[in-house]
Amino acid sequence: MRRRRPSPPWALGLAALALLATLGKAGAETLLRTRLNADIRSTDPGTNRDANTDAVVAHIVEGLVAFRDDTSIGPMLAESWAVSNEGKTYTFRLRQGVKFHNGAAMTADDVVWSLKRWLDPATQWRCLSEFSATGIARIEKIEAPDAQTVAITLDQPTALFLPTLARPDCGQTAIIHRDSVGPDGKWITPVGTGPFKLGEWKRGQYMDLIRFDGYVSRSEPRTGYTGAKDVKVDRVRFNVIPDSSAAKAGLLSGSLDVIMSLSIPDLEELKSRPEVQLSITPALGLTGILFQTRDPLLKDVRIRRAIALSIDTAQIVDAVMMGTARPNNSALPLGSPFYSEAQSHGYTQNIAEAKKLLLEAGYRGQPIKMITNKRYSFVFDSSVLVQAMAQAVGINIELEVMDWAAQLDRYNRGDYQSMAFVYSARLDPSLSFEMLTGPKASQPRKVWDNPEGQEMLRQSMMIDDTAKRQALFDEMHKRFIADVPMIALFNGAELTALRKSIKGYAGWLYPEPRFWGVMVE
Amino acid sequence: MLGYLARRLAMTVPTLLLVAIGVFALVRLIPGDPVQVMLGDAADPAQAAQLRAQLGLDQPMPVQFMHWIGKLAAGDFGHSITNNLAVLPLILDRFQVSAVIVLVAVAAAACIAVPAGLVAAWKQNSLLDLSVVGGATLLLSIPSFWLGLLLLLLFGLKLKWLPVIGYVPFAENVWQAATFIVLPIATLTMVEIGVLTRMARAASIEVLRLEYVTHARAKGVPEWRVLARHVLPNAFAPTWTLIGLVLGHLLGGIAVIETVFTLPGLGRLLVDSIFARDYPVVQGCLLFTAVIYVLVNLIVDLCYPLFDPRVTVA
Repeated sequence: MRRRRPSPPWALGLAALALLATLGKAGAETLLRTRLNADIRSTDPGTNRDANTDAVVAHIVEGLVAFRDDTSIGPMLAESWAVSNEGKTYTFRLRQGVKFHNGAAMTADDVVWSLKRWLDPATQWRCLSEFSATGIARIEKIEAPDAQTVAITLDQPTALFLPTLARPDCGQTAIIHRDSVGPDGKWITPVGTGPFKLGEWKRGQYMDLIRFDGYVSRSEPRTGYTGAKDVKVDRVRFNVIPDSSAAKAGLLSGSLDVIMSLSIPDLEELKSRPEVQLSITPALGLTGILFQTRDPLLKDVRIRRAIALSIDTAQIVDAVMMGTARPNNSALPLGSPFYSEAQSHGYTQNIAEAKKLLLEAGYRGQPIKMITNKRYSFVFDSSVLVQAMAQAVGINIELEVMDWAAQLDRYNRGDYQSMAFVYSARLDPSLSFEMLTGPKASQPRKVWDNPEGQEMLRQSMMIDDTAKRQALFDEMHKRFIADVPMIALFNGAELTALRKSIKGYAGWLYPEPRFWGVMVE
Repeated sequence: MLGYLARRLAMTVPTLLLVAIGVFALVRLIPGDPVQVMLGDAADPAQAAQLRAQLGLDQPMPVQFMHWIGKLAAGDFGHSITNNLAVLPLILDRFQVSAVIVLVAVAAAACIAVPAGLVAAWKQNSLLDLSVVGGATLLLSIPSFWLGLLLLLLFGLKLKWLPVIGYVPFAENVWQAATFIVLPIATLTMVEIGVLTRMARAASIEVLRLEYVTHARAKGVPEWRVLARHVLPNAFAPTWTLIGLVLGHLLGGIAVIETVFTLPGLGRLLVDSIFARDYPVVQGCLLFTAVIYVLVNLIVDLCYPLFDPRVTVA
């Protein structure tokens, strides 16, 4: 038998250090460690922001209303609301006893102050344009009849008022205390009502959120960004780790507890690890192939349709998403309450029909350039499969790989023949169509330039009646499929890996984490 | 000496100006702009235009360039587009991390590579020489990110001796700081040993062939003294030049190591800023790296006479 060689002294020293560190932690606070792939931009909700910023800030601040798990709107800081004046006046009754992080009680005055600050152009709130002449409606009045009531009057009725207030990228139109800004109006720190307070932020390294002991939780179960927010850890640390391999190593070594937004290859690898559990949730993003309908070749709908009929969406999604997502040719996401039987009718692979259409269109193998990127593995893999399947009917697609910023530039200018693209989550069906629909002459990034579609979209934004909206979305879907301005493929999935010691985590349709209700055992 | 120093410093001004123009033009030539990256696929054109105007990106290129150069002359590198932090303090903060790793790694590599090269040259064509050359070639051929990942897997995941992610500054906790930078330094050291060993060996072989070495041996000087007194100092001079180059090269290329080991260094700042098209930070990082490169080469040149008295600076 071989004798084990003694460990070198320096290794013993390091081991002793590690042991000391472990002992030091005994009986200390509970800490949940997670990862961000890039640092957040600021702590001012809905202003200088990106998805990471929204994700962190959503733990610190809250708005009057918030999205539920199924993307419907629920109350948050508002107890209830009533709509009058033909859909133009919203009167919110505020919850009693809600406290800001500085201990002050939330009143209608704080709500009015916060809303007016968002509407001040100097704040540079992302969603200000929604309340301008070209947006969903203008806000004409914000009043506080008493300390628990706020009334907001719009210039026209809109179905999007509450969903816009709740939008995470609008910072949920957070209600903040005026201590959040200095006497000069400059942003200092978020003094919100959320279940966590802002802790230390070391730029480029980590950001800590500390449990807010004065938090007054709602009573109904956790749902979306509303419901009960029962914090079960003392601190959450978001570590900035750009490299996904490093993050994975961090999770496996026990340095991290949760990593979100896993790529499919990472998921496959982590599936077999006993110390890791996975959370797979349908997502709201949309991956698809966009066509430039003003391109000399692709303006012929027969060629676009031939490409759509050449591919087998289900096969692509299975291969690319490894069974974590389902095919969807509709602009509406699968989880949407408006996703009806009508939306399930998409493109069915039909090689003979595709070849016939190409013949009729006089297509003779001219190359079609398709821009793609490797930032999202599923986008690149989808484009490769679409290229291969289209080739089988004689369509000659050439892939051009770009970095994300370069592709966004081409997308915004409409400067492409086709591109494999991924849209970020939209939480309202009107917004799902809005991201695709519009006149290309003035909005080159829009893919579906159909005046009737635009009119139906406008109506869907005005009408609050669910049945009427459903009828509009169904009709829009039919025309969208017929026009083939793009081939929607799937909505993807939010893939999260957690150490087995983490309990109570649940993903939802919006691809951002919630660390209330989560325990470290 | 002072005259030489003044001339060399004066020469760096046009060099850096050329670098500044090149950096500015190249960064602007990359398609995609920060506003689009910030606003993503939901960019509202009016909002994008407003943001662009606010960041001064709607101005003509020459105006933007003159604005940047004017501020640079006053020592102001501008502010980051993505988080509005002042660029120079940001760079200096990140540079500390990179500098420690690079300096320690190069010093360690030199301490191992120079004697190894000398011994290999002394025993030229022996099994020992073959092993040293083979080892050096192997280290030279391994991509640094791969080596880094292997070390990470071995010491972080398998043996659990060292932390896998994170960073603590030395000022905060020396021991913890050391555990975080051991692996990145080891990776860089191993990569650079390859280059330096081959250079030290080649230089030593040349020196060993010179007459004064034969003469020293003929006089009966002990072999270790021949190597230490006559060969090493003369073989070290060309290696010293290479060390200067390696230092500059590493500062520019450390991004990969900083990404693998999640270190908040200059390289990672540069890469992140390129993806975000954060022009002021990208420009600042590149210009700063150029300044460091120029300074390192200047120091190398000034120190050269210490190792080779035949060279004088005047």
